Amino acid sequence: MSAKLVRETSFDVSLITKLLIISSAILIFFALGASAQEMGAKAFESKCFSCHNIGGGDKQGPDLKGLTDRRTLPWIEEFTKAPLAMSKKDPIAAELFTKYAPTIMPDQPLAPDEFEAIIELIKNLSSKNEMFTPAGAKLYRAIQPGDIDGGWRYFTGQTKFENGGVACNSCHTVNNVGRLGGGTLGPDLTAANIKYRDPELILILQNPNFPTMTEMFRDHKLNDEEIVQLFAYLQNSKAENPHAPIVATAASGATDPKFLAVGFAITILSLFGLNFIWRKRHKGVRADIVRRSKI
Amino acid sequence: MDVRLQTSMVFHLDKCIGCHTCSIACKNIWTDRKGAEYMWWNNVETKPGTGYPTAWEDQSKYKGGWEENGGNPSLKMGSKNSRLLNIFHNPDLPKLDDYYEPWTYEYEKLFDAPEGSDQPTARPISMITGKHMEVEAGPNWDDDLSGSPVYAANDPNLDSLTEEQRQELFDIERLVFFYLPRICNHCLNPSCVAACPSGAIYKRGEDGIVLINQDKCRAWRMCVTACPYKKTFYNWSTGKSEKCILCFPRLETGQAPACFHSCVGRIRYLGGLLYDADKLPSSVQVPDGQLVDAHRDIILDPKDPKVREAARKNGIDDRTLEAVERSPVYKYVMEWKLALPLHPEFRTLPMLFYVPPMLPVMAKATEGVYDTANDELFSPIEKARLPIEYMASLFSAGNVDHVTLSLKKQYAVRLFKRLETVGDVDEKVVQFAMNECNMTAEEAETIYRLTSLPTMDERVVIPPMHREEALQMLNDNMWEEKGSAGLGKRQLPVRGN
Repeated sequence: MSAKLVRETSFDVSLITKLLIISSAILIFFALGASAQEMGAKAFESKCFSCHNIGGGDKQGPDLKGLTDRRTLPWIEEFTKAPLAMSKKDPIAAELFTKYAPTIMPDQPLAPDEFEAIIELIKNLSSKNEMFTPAGAKLYRAIQPGDIDGGWRYFTGQTKFENGGVACNSCHTVNNVGRLGGGTLGPDLTAANIKYRDPELILILQNPNFPTMTEMFRDHKLNDEEIVQLFAYLQNSKAENPHAPIVATAASGATDPKFLAVGFAITILSLFGLNFIWRKRHKGVRADIVRRSKI
Repeated sequence: MDVRLQTSMVFHLDKCIGCHTCSIACKNIWTDRKGAEYMWWNNVETKPGTGYPTAWEDQSKYKGGWEENGGNPSLKMGSKNSRLLNIFHNPDLPKLDDYYEPWTYEYEKLFDAPEGSDQPTARPISMITGKHMEVEAGPNWDDDLSGSPVYAANDPNLDSLTEEQRQELFDIERLVFFYLPRICNHCLNPSCVAACPSGAIYKRGEDGIVLINQDKCRAWRMCVTACPYKKTFYNWSTGKSEKCILCFPRLETGQAPACFHSCVGRIRYLGGLLYDADKLPSSVQVPDGQLVDAHRDIILDPKDPKVREAARKNGIDDRTLEAVERSPVYKYVMEWKLALPLHPEFRTLPMLFYVPPMLPVMAKATEGVYDTANDELFSPIEKARLPIEYMASLFSAGNVDHVTLSLKKQYAVRLFKRLETVGDVDEKVVQFAMNECNMTAEEAETIYRLTSLPTMDERVVIPPMHREEALQMLNDNMWEEKGSAGLGKRQLPVRGN
């Protein structure tokens, strides 16, 4: 009695176990496929979309639709890792740089699985003839009147970023940001919203993917409120300056003559100041005595 | 009573012949180095004159020494705060031109020059830049009144004279000068020590010699400004300040300092003095006229049993006390009151004393005949060619009495000896001169002996340094120092170290 019972029970258990294993395997298979796709989309959105699209036409960089048909995989991999270096030896790369000048694609040290996922995404969308649509790239609320001023405060560092990010004007400038302007390490952001469309600009603010900024903002992400206000401010910078240069990418390297002039003036003033403070300093006795005696 | 020992000095100006041998001896031993070319730890000046560096006595320009400040002396160069504010730019430093730009000559040109129609010449070259230079001044440029209208006429001490006295002084027939050799005074109240922000300058406890620690010196150069005698110098090569060390390595081995040893006129006396450190603060809080008295007041009689007792309690050895008893300095400064400090109004209590010089006989040329202006053999002090006020400005902060007494005593000694050896002066005149300064025949004789006939051992009585006792306080391992003396560790001073 007891033996039979045991056998029956054991049969039941093994059946349930098998069913469970099979179903979970199927689930995991689908989940993995889905997450791989999702990862590709996410990586593309955060790291490529500000300059590239798939099926949406050329932006700062070329449309990547059908990329895998045009180029070999090793070429794509090498180009992604070090575009500028490659442009110096590869004729196709050089041609691309000429075509999209003055924009220079920054080096993208992608993780291998990230790279593969993005390639898969490009293949997938190209074959289906679909356009990539970013999932994020939205402001969490609508822009309100006070946001432009608030954004200016964030830009100039008068309000500190919550996560401790560096104020924008340490490296960037915008026309009319202030008397002395901002930094010259990064590009001039005047009319940045002409260079980048709104979702791209929002994406950059959410996840800045430029060589210097990636490192600086990795642990100091901007929060949603800061993004809204900065976005409003950068959008407005165009409205104020209709004649501002639309393309201003890399730091020019030239020093602002105004800045030089102010520095020079301060130096001269300081020298006069020092001369005044120490006006009673010892200026020598002997030469004076000799001079007075000759007269 | 806090008895301490000071190695102290007297320079007898009446004997100085202005030969600069002392300067050369010092130069050869201590300042014949890179960065020290312009320094003269010992120099000889002609007075009236501006000296070295030019017009160093004019503290309105050099800001040295202490200011009376209502009985509470403070450094003339400024308060602690103002010195801190100026620490990276001390505004009151003498210029190199105030010292002089040191130079040498291109001697090798005399041998190397190619044959030509002219004689080869050795042009002066700067020892600082190495380039040819136009020599415009030197450390004794006004020697023997050369350049008088420029240098002698600008002597800061002439301010104490009336316009009439000044004019008379530069009359061709009255033109007069004497020599003033100077070294570091190793003061009791040294302003250089007070001004040093690094604590690098110190006064050696056992003998009172003021030294600059070359390891600690950070080249702030506050001491250069603070010293009213301008006897600390900045070495531009090592980046450290340095000064006269009274040849302490020589003293420790019982030898006279080089300038004393080489002195041709034998004008230099060295010996120990005991002083009461407790009285020191009050002695610089008196008005100018009383400074010399206050200065003498802190010096103690080494024969007084109480003083000896207190000295022993302070660790001063019996053999040192015995040497101090024989100190020629004590005789000149305290017993005879002949020697006076140079510019006591700087309030640093200088421990180098000067016997003011008797000035030459007044003479006058009438119708081509050069004749002494008075009938007497030695001209009385009142008829001195250099007004007494000038001497008082140098040696007693304007108090004429001290200088008068010193000169009258010397005058009396001269008459006394003249009467004794030649006998051509009136005895009454001699007696009158001696009575005027309360001098006995015995005292006149001892003054004469120590002035004119002293042996080296009488002139220089070095108190035993007892270096071993001083070292014992700092170092347990005395054997390391056995048989050694002087500079101790021999590590070159290096800039930035």
